[in-house]
Amino acid sequence: MTDELDDMGRTREDRWASLLRDANAGGRASYVQFLNDIAPVLRGIIAARCGRPKEDCEDILQNVLIAIHEKRHTWRDGEPVGPWAYAIARYKTVDAMRLSMRRPTVSYDGSELNVADEASHDPTAAADLDRLLGQLDATSALIVRQIRLEGRTAEEVGRTLGMTPGAVRVALHRALAKLSALAVADQTEQSGKARE
Amino acid sequence: MNTDDLIKSLGSELTPLPRGYLTRQIATGLLAGLVGTSVLFFAFWGVRSDLVGIFGDLALFAKTVLPLVLACLALFWLHATARPAGRSGAARLIWSIPLALILLVAMTLVTTPGDAWPMALRGKSIVTCLISIPVLSVPVLIGLLAALRRGAPEHPALCGAVAGLGAGATAAAVYSVYCIENSPLFYASWYSLAVLAVAGCGGILGYFFLRW
Repeated sequence: MTDELDDMGRTREDRWASLLRDANAGGRASYVQFLNDIAPVLRGIIAARCGRPKEDCEDILQNVLIAIHEKRHTWRDGEPVGPWAYAIARYKTVDAMRLSMRRPTVSYDGSELNVADEASHDPTAAADLDRLLGQLDATSALIVRQIRLEGRTAEEVGRTLGMTPGAVRVALHRALAKLSALAVADQTEQSGKARE
Repeated sequence: MNTDDLIKSLGSELTPLPRGYLTRQIATGLLAGLVGTSVLFFAFWGVRSDLVGIFGDLALFAKTVLPLVLACLALFWLHATARPAGRSGAARLIWSIPLALILLVAMTLVTTPGDAWPMALRGKSIVTCLISIPVLSVPVLIGLLAALRRGAPEHPALCGAVAGLGAGATAAAVYSVYCIENSPLFYASWYSLAVLAVAGCGGILGYFFLRW
């Protein structure tokens, strides 16, 4: 990845640093601006590295953004922001590719859950979903059920759980990613059994 | 979920960060580990009675101080490996430790008659040393690894190995005030072996437990 060599690049680095510094002090507007600012750059890095369909890259980008959020304390004021964020993007991209090499690519964004719900004439589908949800922790399963199956909003669910809507959305995002992994693992297992 | 929404959610989840959060986590882990190691040490090992001699003898002094310096360098290096794109000069300075050991060994080889070398190398407590240092390093290694779960190492195995190096070196420094061996030939070989073994274990543990 080319680091900031030109003049514009330098000012960009400075802007990111001051936004992130502000964010770490609790400035939400700066934080959102920082993430919006850096997301296209990260998207480029991810696309160049993963060479997979656009929606997969977008999934990785979202994972990277969550990782940046969770690990924002690993940036030290005074160190460049760009290389820090790029390193996180690289790590998460490699991680995603390593996982996908082990498993066939199945994109899973939660819409499948609605299908399973409607296909109630096929009891195994519902039972399967229950079983998969049962492998999540209770809160995550509850969030997936209420938002994806019952169509409630993150605000409503957040109120009952005592979480902020933002936290609910992030938890939902993570739960869906986990479900996707579980579903794929499940499929591989089943096809393995079928072969025997 | 689309990315803009995610960014908004993350924004609404934002809480201010305490200053030096990661540094404090690592320091806390280290401190907790040190308490554990000290308890173990005073319960089962204890300080050798003629420790005062340590300041009069370079080889004896180095036996404690070199691992101590190594532990400090490893901790600085550790702090860098725990952060994406983190850099530290300590990574390069760490080579000064094997260099110092080689010098010490060379000096010893010159000043000791050749037929005394095998005796000095074997000492009387190879097994004790090879068991004690790894055992004493366990609390520190656990403390560091627990703290590093909050980090974001680009190379989890390397990060774990550096944590192992720090923990092993700390344990070696502690053990050195019990150990009755005085020859650099002894500790340059067996202490190093024990510390490297701990670093290796740290690397394996890091590979599995420091992913994020």
